[in-house]
Amino acid sequence: MGMDRRTFVKRTCTGSAGLMLAGVPVLGTEQVVMPQPPPIDVHEAPLAKKSALGMPGLYPGRVVELADARAIAGNRVSQPVVHEMLERGLKELTGETSPAAAFAKFVEPKDVVGIKINPSGAPACCSSPELVREIIEGVRSAGVPVRNIVVYDRFGYEIDLGSYQTLMPPGIEIFGVQDGLLDASGYDANVYCDMNFFGEWETRSYMASIVATRLDKIINVPTLKDHSASGVTGCLKNVAYGSFNNVARSHKEPYSFTNPLIGVMCTVEPLRSKVVLNIMDGMRMVWHGGPLTQNQDFIAQTGVLMMSTDPVAMDTIELEAIEKKRREKGAPSVWEHNPKSITADSREFYTDASKNLFYRQPGHIAAAGKLGLGVSDLKQIDHRKLQAS
Amino acid sequence: MTEKSSMTEVAAAAEGDWITLLKDNGRTGGFGAPTVPSPTKARWQLRLSSPVRSSPALREATLYVTAQRGQLYALKTKDGRQEWKFEAGGKINSTPSLSGRNVLFGCDNGKVYAVNGDNGAKVWEATTDGEVWASAVVRQGMVFVGSGDGHLYALDAENGKRRWKSESLGGRVYSTAYAAEKAIYVGSGNGTVYCFERENGKILWKVATGDGIDSSPALVGDTLLIGSQDFFVYALDANNGAVRWKYETGLGVAAAPAVSGDAVVIGSKDGQLYTLELATGKLRWKIRAGEAITGPAVFGASTIYLQSWGLQALAADTGKTVWRAGLGMGVQNAPVIAGGSIYLASLDGEVYALE
Repeated sequence: MGMDRRTFVKRTCTGSAGLMLAGVPVLGTEQVVMPQPPPIDVHEAPLAKKSALGMPGLYPGRVVELADARAIAGNRVSQPVVHEMLERGLKELTGETSPAAAFAKFVEPKDVVGIKINPSGAPACCSSPELVREIIEGVRSAGVPVRNIVVYDRFGYEIDLGSYQTLMPPGIEIFGVQDGLLDASGYDANVYCDMNFFGEWETRSYMASIVATRLDKIINVPTLKDHSASGVTGCLKNVAYGSFNNVARSHKEPYSFTNPLIGVMCTVEPLRSKVVLNIMDGMRMVWHGGPLTQNQDFIAQTGVLMMSTDPVAMDTIELEAIEKKRREKGAPSVWEHNPKSITADSREFYTDASKNLFYRQPGHIAAAGKLGLGVSDLKQIDHRKLQAS
Repeated sequence: MTEKSSMTEVAAAAEGDWITLLKDNGRTGGFGAPTVPSPTKARWQLRLSSPVRSSPALREATLYVTAQRGQLYALKTKDGRQEWKFEAGGKINSTPSLSGRNVLFGCDNGKVYAVNGDNGAKVWEATTDGEVWASAVVRQGMVFVGSGDGHLYALDAENGKRRWKSESLGGRVYSTAYAAEKAIYVGSGNGTVYCFERENGKILWKVATGDGIDSSPALVGDTLLIGSQDFFVYALDANNGAVRWKYETGLGVAAAPAVSGDAVVIGSKDGQLYTLELATGKLRWKIRAGEAITGPAVFGASTIYLQSWGLQALAADTGKTVWRAGLGMGVQNAPVIAGGSIYLASLDGEVYALE
């Protein structure tokens, strides 16, 4: 598994302001200039043989999107409809004629496969158990035994809130890396990112041991969600902040260094090589208040499913979707850096879509593209939208 | 199959004891426990080296707490000092139950343990093929407990020997069973509520809900109450599973119902605590009591206690907040009310005795 080879690199990328200039209007007079992020020291454990399946994977720049109004009704997700959508989408993504063949592009019977859910935001908005169950069936159809499938996330109590333990089929392991907020026993002491953002005493963020050593492949199941610090929490953030500990320190009101940390973390081996497929759960879209809001006023029942091997391309599409919804709702862009929109009162943030806790940094998506994780230029993304059958 | 009361089991324990989830095997939620006024201090506070996801149990002057990292603690209620500690072979998420002098609990290693409550010595262990998060329920010398392997097990309370194992229930069994005189009721992760013949595990009836079940049922008369992840609270005819009424909440219902007189109290993941009329399911009142409620409410004489992202006491007749304490973070945790004190354990590993 290559764990005997450790490498150290200093990794960073263009600062947030520079990246923003490529994709959004030049800073206006009411925009503030963000502090520059520090360099990030990466101590990683590359796989012995670099995987062609790793990010951006087999189909860089290709994103398949399906929307079906039947997929969610009354806030309940329809597993039969999700089954149809997943099957159609994966066939479109891979060109295969069956879901089993499509999954076999990514996993082998000998693999230990992790399904990285996003329970943060449970129960109002999290990876739908109905979708996760269908993914499990898909992985099994490719020959992976039940005992080799692990549904996991960092925080056991968030998994508990989502009732995943109860709702997954018997035999599937449900794994929380941490059983408490400060538990560090589930992390690999040799694989970490080291950086100091705000003078914190602990400057390292360690990779979860299950990611570093136990899993062979990871299927990433993020949700379609706004994020108060990073703009959106999609594929990149779900595997980055869901694989490393001590990450909340990257944002301290009102500033955020989620850009470039999210992208840099996704490049760290062996995480980068193990993430082979992203299936974004857009049954619900949190367009404000993410990642933890339970306010249904900010959660649209969209019935969307997206698939890609390229996390950057998919997050770019996600960002566009959230921006569109926010425009429809009269909420400011996630790119806005207007001091008048910042509040230190979380109650205000959770009830007023014009307010935010941080200057959001969605530039992490483009930054990840610059790090080679995928395609962030909308014009170059092969966005295939399939209509409901 | 009518269950007139749970007095048989309650009588087996001393009046102030709190022998299992929601006080007794009748799942009364502590009804009758004297109301505790707003606590003014922690008589003692103890930090364990592990988060606690379960509720404590109480017998005489000892509080039993299961910790996620695999320990069962016996603590003196007087001062919180540890009497003994038992190390299990895996994580523990199961609320302990008391049976005679034994403490029973399930473990992630698939085992159900019976430990001597006086000295912490293992009395017996029984094996299942999946993690055991449910609480063991004891009645008439038999222990009933569900497993993550998808089966319900009946064990001999004396020695842990298996009396029967149900057929596969199609999903994990995290729901804590209700043991009536002749029948056992439990929910499954595949969304089905089952009724078993007590003596042999034969399925007497089953009824499907719309999603998985981790709520634990309560039986009042011949009405079985249980929540489902399909957003509904169900009242079923305990004789045949027919739906008498169902009440829709805003999200899934993982909590167990607590019953007092003609009222059913249950929380939902939509953050609301509901009080429904037992006979009709009509809403009496609801109140937003947290972001998401997954743990069971405890029903005192005139007060409802709820441990969610903090501990709060609500007036039983109106739902109005009586007092609130910003401690006791929990998912499935619930407090124990006894002797004028409130005992609770939390996900951050703290155990409190409040008064």
